Amino acid sequence: MLLESVSTMDFIGTKLVDFLTYTGFANVEWANIIMIAVGAFFIWLAIAKDFEPLLLIPIGLGIILGNIPFKDAGLEIGLYEDNSVLNIFYQGVRLGWYPPLVFLGIGAMTDFSALIANPKLMLIGAAAQFGIFGAYMVALALGFEPSQAAGIAIIGGADGPTAIFLSSKLSPNLMGAIAVCAYSYMALVPVIQPGIMKLLTTKQQRLIKMKPARQVSQTEKMLFPIVGLLITTFIVPSGLPLLGMLFFGNLLKESTKTTRLAKTAGSALNDIVVMLLGLTVGCSTQASEFLTWNTIFIFIIGACAFVVATASGVIFVHIMNLFLPKSQKINPLIGNAGVSAVPMAARISQNEGLKADPHNYLLMHAMGPNVAGVIGSAVAAGVLLGFLS
Amino acid sequence: MRKLLSVISFLIASSAAFAQGAHDFKLNEVYVHTPACCMGDSASATCEKQASYVDEYGQPASWIEIENTSYSTHDIRNCFLTINPAVLDKSMSAPEREKLMSLIPAGDPRTSLSAKQRITFFADGKTNRGTLHLNFTLPVNEAFTVYLFDGNAVDLLDSVRVEALPAGSSYARINDAEWQVLEADKVTPNAPNVAYHNDKIKEFKEKDPHGIAMTLMCMGVVFSCLILLFVFFHIFGWAMNRAAKLARVRAIRAIHEQAVKVVEMAKQGTTETKGVDMETYAAVIGLALHEYFGGTHDLESGVLTINQTSTTWADKSHELRVTPQLHSAN
Repeated sequence: MLLESVSTMDFIGTKLVDFLTYTGFANVEWANIIMIAVGAFFIWLAIAKDFEPLLLIPIGLGIILGNIPFKDAGLEIGLYEDNSVLNIFYQGVRLGWYPPLVFLGIGAMTDFSALIANPKLMLIGAAAQFGIFGAYMVALALGFEPSQAAGIAIIGGADGPTAIFLSSKLSPNLMGAIAVCAYSYMALVPVIQPGIMKLLTTKQQRLIKMKPARQVSQTEKMLFPIVGLLITTFIVPSGLPLLGMLFFGNLLKESTKTTRLAKTAGSALNDIVVMLLGLTVGCSTQASEFLTWNTIFIFIIGACAFVVATASGVIFVHIMNLFLPKSQKINPLIGNAGVSAVPMAARISQNEGLKADPHNYLLMHAMGPNVAGVIGSAVAAGVLLGFLS
Repeated sequence: MRKLLSVISFLIASSAAFAQGAHDFKLNEVYVHTPACCMGDSASATCEKQASYVDEYGQPASWIEIENTSYSTHDIRNCFLTINPAVLDKSMSAPEREKLMSLIPAGDPRTSLSAKQRITFFADGKTNRGTLHLNFTLPVNEAFTVYLFDGNAVDLLDSVRVEALPAGSSYARINDAEWQVLEADKVTPNAPNVAYHNDKIKEFKEKDPHGIAMTLMCMGVVFSCLILLFVFFHIFGWAMNRAAKLARVRAIRAIHEQAVKVVEMAKQGTTETKGVDMETYAAVIGLALHEYFGGTHDLESGVLTINQTSTTWADKSHELRVTPQLHSAN
């Protein structure tokens, strides 16, 4: 009897010791702690500072989730382990089908009226894409391969889904860092852009009042996604997944016959995809993959890309103003909105405009280059994919 | 009518689906086995190599390799292979052609080819050995043509003329285009005919190390797309505005004409009123004048015209319970 109870105790002891080897405490490394702290910082930024909570809370928690240490014992729990639940969620990122679904939602939510009413604003959206290629040159100079450089450079488009889509195709090993960098800088747009905008404009230029946009007929709104799709995808077929879904979502909205589908695409479906996308992107930043010199370089290049994109948008407006009659001058404060962080960048134009003149409302004007930036960055991603894949 | 349109749309969509797939199959490599190797000169390197190209039963045989050149999965089942040129006779019916060809049977998962995948069929005349065996053999030291036909036995998908090949060599399609004779040590059954490597990246690395060319090209494309959109919507917007203005002018003209007529009739008194009294005429004239002076519009200006006026009703002091009084500092 006594012997039996001793052997039972032995058994329990052995199993408990074995169990302890599986716990996070037994497997933790300093790198995990750092990444968990980064995740917590993101959540703090989102909750306390209200920095893009819809993005940073899923990413922040994903970072924590992805860095919970565990023993690699084939339990099918890790993000990179075949058949694990997280791995199944991650397929949408790895195979690049979350970004087109996000674009479907963006299309269903976006009103292109500002752009249709004043089509010349499209050119600002194109000019801001210099950020991508400025970053591409910096990345090449830092020794990245052209395909990796392209994946990193797309951060300059300020478009998270596009960055994930392109990096999953061209530089999958850097995708985690690129995605986190793109989303982090998108959240930091209110910190990065105003200084550059002020630096590149005079008080006089900030006071420019733009003519109210003309009213756009429903026919024009319905025609825009169809013509936009045809023109962009005939030139850049490699951008088909992103551009196709963007314009499809917009047609659902503007056709006036599929309001129910547009509502679902822009709300429930988009929310589900954003949650899974944010969470799995966060999870992909496991310390072993993320804490490398490459990540630091990517963050530096990403910052350069945002600065160049903002500056090129503002400078391009100055150039356009040289050729426009006085009554049609454009306020250069909407130049920053050429990056496709919708609608954060347009909101910054509005805020900066109001600071200069409390009666100058730039939001609707800034939405033009902002949505053009979405198209521009998707086209740029398509071109890079076409050249390098 | 709607049903008819639906059926037509469905048929158009379906025809596109049918058109895909079969045309992506291309003959990729043809290898003729030389039986002499199996009999006498088996010590040579060529014969050793040949001996390694064997079917599922370990028997060396001639083979024909087909590639799915697309990036989608397609099934090659029910297609036909032959080397008999008689099948080119257009007067021949489909059943007659089928008798002259070797059918690739359905029901074998190996015939489903994923993107860029290849399949090898053994031309040994022994179809009883399985799906991958054809009912004909390839002639040694003789030219012949291989034909790949679609499932209807009428549409030719691909063909290649093979001249007499040196022993152990194969005839292969290189870089999706030209055909070349591959020497014995370069024959590649079920594998790409040339090693794949991404030349694009290498080329960019060598010729555009600073990314300037890439920047110029990509920005050019981005600008082209958005400039085209700009031009289209600029012109379209102008046309829409113009059409709206013309509609407005037409409406005003019509009302003006009516007003002129009514005034004329009013001047003439009661003679041509056709039972309608003068008050109605006056109302029509009033409406016509209102529309004429700017009342006709299909789009609202969006400008609010309510001017705030100060009345005792809006006086805030009435809302206070006690009338405020000014107290001196001391």
